[in-house]
Amino acid sequence: MMTQYELDDSGVVVIVGSGAGGGTLAHELTKRGVKVVLLEAGKHLTPDDFVNDEWGGYEMLSWLDKRTASGTWRAAKDHPFSPSWSCQVVGGTTSHWSACCYRFIEDEFRAKTLYGELPGTSLIDWPFTVADIEPYYELAEAKMGVTRTNGLPGLPANNNFKVMYAGAKALGLNISTGRHAINSIPYDGRPATIQDGFTITGDKTGSRWSTLNVEIPRALATGKLELRPQSRVTFIEHDDAGKASAVVYVDAAGVTHRQKARAVVVAGNCVESSRLLLHSKSARFPDGLANGWGHVGRHYLRHIIQTVWSIFDKPVHMHRGEIMAGMIDDYVRHDPARGFAGGYYIEMNSMGLPTTAAFLEPGWWGRDFVSVIEQYRNMAGIFMSGEDMPQPGNRITLTDELDAFGVPVANIHYDDHPNDLKLRSHGYKTLSAIHAAAGAKRSIEAPSYPASHNLGSNRMAAKAEDGVLDSNGRAWEVPNLFISDGSTFSTGGACNPTLTIVALAIRQADFMAKQMAAGEL
Amino acid sequence: MSETALPTAYKDPKMPPPVDVPEGPEWVGMLKVFDAHAAETLVSAAHTLYPHQTLPERVYRRTIVAFDALAAKMPAVAQGFAEFVDLVDGAMPVPFRELSESYRVNTLKAIEATAAFRLVQRSTVRFLYDDLEVWQAFGYEGAAVQLGGYVNRGFNDLDWLPEPPPGI
Repeated sequence: MMTQYELDDSGVVVIVGSGAGGGTLAHELTKRGVKVVLLEAGKHLTPDDFVNDEWGGYEMLSWLDKRTASGTWRAAKDHPFSPSWSCQVVGGTTSHWSACCYRFIEDEFRAKTLYGELPGTSLIDWPFTVADIEPYYELAEAKMGVTRTNGLPGLPANNNFKVMYAGAKALGLNISTGRHAINSIPYDGRPATIQDGFTITGDKTGSRWSTLNVEIPRALATGKLELRPQSRVTFIEHDDAGKASAVVYVDAAGVTHRQKARAVVVAGNCVESSRLLLHSKSARFPDGLANGWGHVGRHYLRHIIQTVWSIFDKPVHMHRGEIMAGMIDDYVRHDPARGFAGGYYIEMNSMGLPTTAAFLEPGWWGRDFVSVIEQYRNMAGIFMSGEDMPQPGNRITLTDELDAFGVPVANIHYDDHPNDLKLRSHGYKTLSAIHAAAGAKRSIEAPSYPASHNLGSNRMAAKAEDGVLDSNGRAWEVPNLFISDGSTFSTGGACNPTLTIVALAIRQADFMAKQMAAGEL
Repeated sequence: MSETALPTAYKDPKMPPPVDVPEGPEWVGMLKVFDAHAAETLVSAAHTLYPHQTLPERVYRRTIVAFDALAAKMPAVAQGFAEFVDLVDGAMPVPFRELSESYRVNTLKAIEATAAFRLVQRSTVRFLYDDLEVWQAFGYEGAAVQLGGYVNRGFNDLDWLPEPPPGI
């Protein structure tokens, strides 16, 4: 039987969201003896529920509630009601992720210092250095079973990788299959990958780390966790002293509850976390909880993400095997000679026919499109994730439209910064050059799909006036309110964010447990 | 590796099986929302948008059957499809589905900015390329876990480029 806590038990830490941040934190706190109630908006699915089907998986796992979009970004045109993408399910977006695990490099923690004054940006340095986070990266890699760490071999080369490898070698680039929280050999009770190519629709075999298959079961085993799926949080309350005191949520039957809390951790992925804070208004916080400085929702980042799909003379069968097992790191470091700030990772990318057709160029139709998609079998994919620049006007706001729970629908505004466009163009040229060097007949520069690396909108800063959170992810204005997701990032860095979210959650658990032991939380 | 033999495509056993669509004009009888004219106009639009010469008529019909199911669930979507039919039929003195290809293409180009066009174009991509028969035709194998993935079934069988070194 799962432990159960009373709604008026004010000794529990309430975590909102069970993904990389919230699910990991729940485990890390409970194993330190802390009582935790974990609220998740989505259902508690099992591997048996998952399907090897791109749209079936998308519809099963995604946060499909309406959002709106504005600004110059392509998502506003291509995906006006779903510009950002995350999951609504126990395990959060770790039920979907492709498991790339790269660390921020030292330079990326001091972006403001390194890049200097860039007009239009709101760059800051992170409130800590790489040395502060390194031990937590090591803990995260061990718990996630990241390949090429702790003696674990890398994933084997697949067909799509062979294409990327041939191009990279011809151009003298540094390539490997990269690092992933996917087992290349059995590890931690989980099997090696069977290379089914459907990591992103739930992962039926459990070879990939997720909070659903690792952190949450272990947190439950401590006897300290109560997991409440299908619990949609609508409001965070505070007491007269300005401390978070309760979380209001609606259960699967539509009944509203109020769970008292010792501390509240919001981990709902960028958009939902900012939206919840903005909506939690009071006389004391008229612009939303912890938003006295006006940073909640601002500086939203989504990475420079794009894919080049190329057609070759012979079959590739890119859908066979793990989808992102390839990485080139020549463009990661900031190099002013390139004419822009920041860097990017080049990674392999594969999709099935359904989503290749949907994301190749949304809106494209006619005989030319047909001539490309008919050659699906001979297609290879290559992808990049690069750093975008924080801008104060790129932000999540509340609209006048209410959702089914009475909470305003979020709008996401994003204007591309000139630096973003320079990096984007540089990246496209590099990706296409790699495929050309491997013999591509034609390359298609596909635009970004809905943003999945959602970052920065509740950022950590060394000073209260520069961000929402201190260096432990604690709100400057509400001493027992924490955030534990990608929205805490001070700047975006270039790499896939999950490993860093997990490392920060472990670090945050250490801090919270020490504060509790000292009677300060 | 054979250049011509296409691997077999599979739908996940937990997903609904492909819909059986009659070959004759009576296929429209299976629709819940669209009348025969709306259905055939939408088939013609799907053909014009994505004119695959090797695909049989039934895959386009199945796409419209999926539109119909969507329309039956969501009145706003039904309204969008009805608007689309009116828009394309009103463009020329001949109903859209009786126009020649170049006139059909021009009619669609002229309404690309409308919500009704967007609905039809995006929905066609969504359902046409999610069809098992289309997967089979273009070399996408679909669900794999029920066959043990590709670990022993060709995840690394590409043989026309140099083999990367082990452990790369």
